[in-house]
Amino acid sequence: MLAAKDMGESMNDEQLQPHSAFRFHGSWQEFARIAFPNLLLTIVTLGIYRFWATTREREYLWGKTEFIDERLEWTGRGMELFIGFIMVFVLIGLPFIVIQLVSQGLIFQGVPVLAGLLTFAMFLSLFYLTGVAYFRALRYRLSRTYWRGIRGGSDDPGFQYGLSYNWKWIVGWLPIFLMVPWAMISLWNDRWNAMSFGPHRFSATAQWTPLMKRYLLFYLVPFLIFVGAVIFGISMAASGGAPAAMGGAGMAIGGILAIVAVLIFYIMLPLAALAFYSKYFRLAVGGLRLHTLEFAFRARSVDWVLFFLANMAIIICTLGIGYIFMPYRNWKFFVEHMEAYGEINIDELTQSQTVVEKHGEGLLDAFDVGAI
Amino acid sequence: MSTFFTAAHYDGQKAVKRAVEVEVMGPQFYVVENAWRSGPFAFADVAYVTKQGDADVYGLAGHDGWRLILSGPIPADLSAMLPAPRKYGGWVDRLGLGKAAIAFALTSAAAVAVVLFSPQWLAPLIPDSVDDSLGDALVGDFGGRFCHTPAGDAALQKLVASLDDAPQDLRVEVANIDMLNAVALPGGNVILFDGLLKQARSPDEVAGVLAHEIGHVRERHVMQALLRQMGLAVVLGGVDGNSGALVNNMLAMSYSRDAEAEADAYAMQALGSANISPVGTASFFDRLSQLDGSAGVVKDNAGITGYLSSHPLSASRKDAFEKSIVKGKNYKPALTPTEWTELKTMCAQDREAKSGLGFDFN
Ligand SMILES: [Zn+2]
Repeated sequence: MLAAKDMGESMNDEQLQPHSAFRFHGSWQEFARIAFPNLLLTIVTLGIYRFWATTREREYLWGKTEFIDERLEWTGRGMELFIGFIMVFVLIGLPFIVIQLVSQGLIFQGVPVLAGLLTFAMFLSLFYLTGVAYFRALRYRLSRTYWRGIRGGSDDPGFQYGLSYNWKWIVGWLPIFLMVPWAMISLWNDRWNAMSFGPHRFSATAQWTPLMKRYLLFYLVPFLIFVGAVIFGISMAASGGAPAAMGGAGMAIGGILAIVAVLIFYIMLPLAALAFYSKYFRLAVGGLRLHTLEFAFRARSVDWVLFFLANMAIIICTLGIGYIFMPYRNWKFFVEHMEAYGEINIDELTQSQTVVEKHGEGLLDAFDVGAI
Repeated sequence: MSTFFTAAHYDGQKAVKRAVEVEVMGPQFYVVENAWRSGPFAFADVAYVTKQGDADVYGLAGHDGWRLILSGPIPADLSAMLPAPRKYGGWVDRLGLGKAAIAFALTSAAAVAVVLFSPQWLAPLIPDSVDDSLGDALVGDFGGRFCHTPAGDAALQKLVASLDDAPQDLRVEVANIDMLNAVALPGGNVILFDGLLKQARSPDEVAGVLAHEIGHVRERHVMQALLRQMGLAVVLGGVDGNSGALVNNMLAMSYSRDAEAEADAYAMQALGSANISPVGTASFFDRLSQLDGSAGVVKDNAGITGYLSSHPLSASRKDAFEKSIVKGKNYKPALTPTEWTELKTMCAQDREAKSGLGFDFN
């Protein structure tokens, strides 16, 4: 029996703060020794090495991540990602180029309606495949993650999830985007409920209603700024008269106010978005269970804001080269804020019987939404 | 006889960690923990998995999750039996980082060079049927925008026949679009835009532009440009994984400087053998380059940028056409005044031709 929460306490008695079941032992200097050769090799291979680069980075990041008393292990291979990419290119990329050519031809032939239908069908299937891609990427990552010789996975190919992805997002958007939080949480639950680790199925029961307050904040920021500007303008006009009466000074004040309004817009909106995302991730992870284990994500909005500001500072100060450290920073942020509670019976944790496909997350890679 | 080494072990069946001894017996080994013993396993099936801290982690083919974790320096007897650690992956580990990077860079440069230069050799290998059907698919009836009148068609046909020996495999059309442009597309399609005919002051000017576009067709520039664009999209697509821009670029494609010079040379020769004076073409380019000089005029003449962007003008181009004038040669006008009027007014006369750009074309 391993206890996720108090294990650390008993191992490091002198430490006052009991640490999380997840611990990260990496250092950016070590990561740099992987990231810089990766950058070099990716450039000289015109980008083809990036599959092996990703794999090497994950091997390092997983290997430096300790869960309770043992490191994680990434067993994915660069070749798998490469094969996945080639498959997507041949099975989806080429047909889509042909369809685009055909619809271009149809426009020239004077049948724009047919061309429009063809293009619409193409976008619909892309939309569907995006959903499948998200599902399969998660499945691939779990099936390549080992802990104590045991891995995760799923027997669900994700085609059904692709359909859910479509209709749930459409329902999310239809009522002037008000149901987006529901779509996000509900799809997270769908995805994780299909996954397992060892013999145990994940259970995801996150609620979406607690997310609405933050979402409305983000949703209303543009309106609030606009309304504020209008009220301010009216009150200015009422008290000080028309800008013409105030002359040049009035014009200058107006200009400054406009700049302030734009700045508020560009600062407030990202802040509201981060506040929303922080709550979303906390709720989503908080609703996750694996047999007797419960999970939590401790990062608050402030942590996210500081994290993003630091990322931006790193990228700007290094003239963009710091970008290669983003996978490291993302993973570190993720692991350091993850928590797990409960106990695991090691004797009960047997090998996963799920299928393992031989190709990587090419679909997700093709849609350019892969995070880490 | 057998030798023992200590290691940590997961059997891949359960998450239980065992402190085992590796019992080596020739090419095989057992893992032993007190009374528990597993094996025999073949060293040939052992694969390197990863390095964790100072420990090397090995897996076993066909045994999901099976791990042997050897901490610290591995005794020579055992390490001789085990596979070598992997760092970057196959080729890079074998060559070393520096050599591999140089080898990859050379290969990449070669790949780009092949993509840039092979279209010249590949284009003639593309069967005409492919070229034709691509042209048909792309052009079709151009959304009903082609202008036709019996007299205008006859004038155009005469012009084409005087410039080309095999006019039957060319399809030259006038499109009812008020844009100063002319394009060569796959399948021997050449499209003159009505705006160009309106701007032209003599049939000789149109003959020069038409001969230039026919030059692109005859020198196989169209297929070359297409192949080059597709090849670059594939090779460079590796960088950002996006090859969607290909189709958009296809119609806006421009030819290389060499191709333009070739098409010009072709045009001068065609004009010469048709006995049409290159003076008109030279003065046409002259007028265009003056328009190019003043932005205001370009804005007023919407569409003039079309020809200029695909056919950058330079003084040398005009000079070349002027130099190709043979003094004392008895040039004839490309069309009679009546034929010229019929061609120029063909789109105005043809009521059935749709006009304008009902689609995104640039
Ligand atoms: Zn040209």
